[in-house]
Amino acid sequence: MATTNVTSEVIGTVWKVEKAKGDAVEEGDLIMILESMKMEIPVEAPVTGTLSEIKVAPDDSVEEDQILCLIES
Amino acid sequence: MPDRKLEPGKDFWAEQISELSQRRAFAAEMGGAENVKRQHDAGRLTVRERIAGLSDADSFREIGTLAGTGEYDDNLKLKKVTPATYVAGTARIDGRPVAIGGEDFTVRGGISFGAMRRKGGQGGYIEDLAHHYKMPLINLIDGAGGSVTSAKRRGFVVFPGVDGFERSVELLGEVPVISAVLGTAAGGPAGRAILSHFSVMVEGTSQIFAAGPPVVKRSLGQAITKEDLGGPEVAVKKAGSIHNSAASEEEALLQIRRFLSFMPQNVWELPPVLPVEDPVERCEEALLGLVPEKRTQPYNMKKLISLVIDRDSEFEIRPTFGRAVITMLARLGGRPVGIIGNNPMIYGGAMDADAARKQIHFMELCDTFHIPLVFLVDVPGFMVGLKAEQEGTLREGMRVVYTAGQLKVPTLTLVIRKCYGMAGMATCNKNDIDLKLAWPTGEWGSLPVEGGVAAAFRREIAAADDPKAREKELEAELRAHASPFRTAEALGVEEIIDPRETRPILCEYIALAEQRLKINLGPRARAGVAP
Repeated sequence: MATTNVTSEVIGTVWKVEKAKGDAVEEGDLIMILESMKMEIPVEAPVTGTLSEIKVAPDDSVEEDQILCLIES
Repeated sequence: MPDRKLEPGKDFWAEQISELSQRRAFAAEMGGAENVKRQHDAGRLTVRERIAGLSDADSFREIGTLAGTGEYDDNLKLKKVTPATYVAGTARIDGRPVAIGGEDFTVRGGISFGAMRRKGGQGGYIEDLAHHYKMPLINLIDGAGGSVTSAKRRGFVVFPGVDGFERSVELLGEVPVISAVLGTAAGGPAGRAILSHFSVMVEGTSQIFAAGPPVVKRSLGQAITKEDLGGPEVAVKKAGSIHNSAASEEEALLQIRRFLSFMPQNVWELPPVLPVEDPVERCEEALLGLVPEKRTQPYNMKKLISLVIDRDSEFEIRPTFGRAVITMLARLGGRPVGIIGNNPMIYGGAMDADAARKQIHFMELCDTFHIPLVFLVDVPGFMVGLKAEQEGTLREGMRVVYTAGQLKVPTLTLVIRKCYGMAGMATCNKNDIDLKLAWPTGEWGSLPVEGGVAAAFRREIAAADDPKAREKELEAELRAHASPFRTAEALGVEEIIDPRETRPILCEYIALAEQRLKINLGPRARAGVAP
């Protein structure tokens, strides 16, 4: 089992979280949407696996490279 | 000098050729089998393997092969030569000549000193070769430059710049200069890596810095590994000191070949045009739905680019640095072009300081080597916020405007979505015909309606019964004037195009630009003081 950190590419806020802890995800699946510079920035699963932890909630501020969630694969 | 007397019974020419062969064999041995093995065990190729891997088969013609330090017996007969720490010569890549050289790490760790210093490095013979014959220079860097031990040998310390960067600087305006960092680079070799049009380093086996961990520890008390200090994570991704990273030395060499395939031999020539296999008339249905109707939803600019350019012709420069803008060499109808595309996935494509620095280098690269620029525009302006201001985004952004104002190479501007403010101004070449095309999704102005309304109607919004509703009303009112078709009515943009026709139209204008390129060959003059 490998753990993959899913990180934010931008500074912004969390708008919607579309998946929950324990959900199975496939590579490319939408996990959450961030809002940055008035744009909706999708956060997609970089690998196929299971979401073992979601570290942010809607309206949270996020920084560049901040870990948003973890995927076990 | 050894006595040139013949040994009894020996033929003069046989002896001369025998000594030449013997000396060549010493050069080929490099630092000896043990050091070569150590180099391989560290996951690195020798300089001779690198040159062979990069150049066309059997095309390397070495120069300075015999340079080194000879050892002689009491009768002045040659015992051994320790080769110079630099291997150099000419070779061909895709049939075109290049000057190529690199430090030999197996000989004294590639550290140069004394007469051997003349062979490679800054101000070395290898740079003179590239300058004289006007051919690209490839630096295969694997050394830390000079050493304080040289002073002990020499008896005095040299003033900085005795073997200076004058030629390295001159070359940047004459021929393509490419550097691969293939070991730990500090000092002079690190400086040369920066004085390049394109540079690449290898993940896991190469690092670059102004000074390595021992100096950092002594100066600042910081304990840090060389990988953490100057590996690709810092040098490529964060600092942008080196343009690209590669997973292996072989991939780094492939990237060099790829970069060169877009470059002319020198600034007095046009870049190479290849036969076109991908039809220039190809229209792509997928382009029609690529930009979402909802303005706040981003899209994949790289996918857009790949649908337009000649298939598989892209070579992205700095993919992990300043990602709000994409800079890519590619071909349209077989002709090299430089693509500058804003990336709406990163801060909506807003130009931050890193993106500005990246765009400046790329514009200057293409301008110098007569590669037309294609701007695929989706830029809402300069990046905003405290971090952006602290990073000097305004100054760096205005340097983009300054650089765009000096362009001589033909440019083509295609507005995909947003084109706002001063960042928007830097997406065309006012010295040229300033041809601006747009998709029907295009929108432009001094600043986007959203932020502009909040600033310009601040009092009116605050005084309204329902401020939020009044702000939305004002935005809708102003947006009605923002249709790109209305600007086209006024010839404010020259043409609105169907997205599906993008490739044929871009190919046609790039083909037309060839005459302009031909009459503007030669070095670029740079004037003024960059802001």
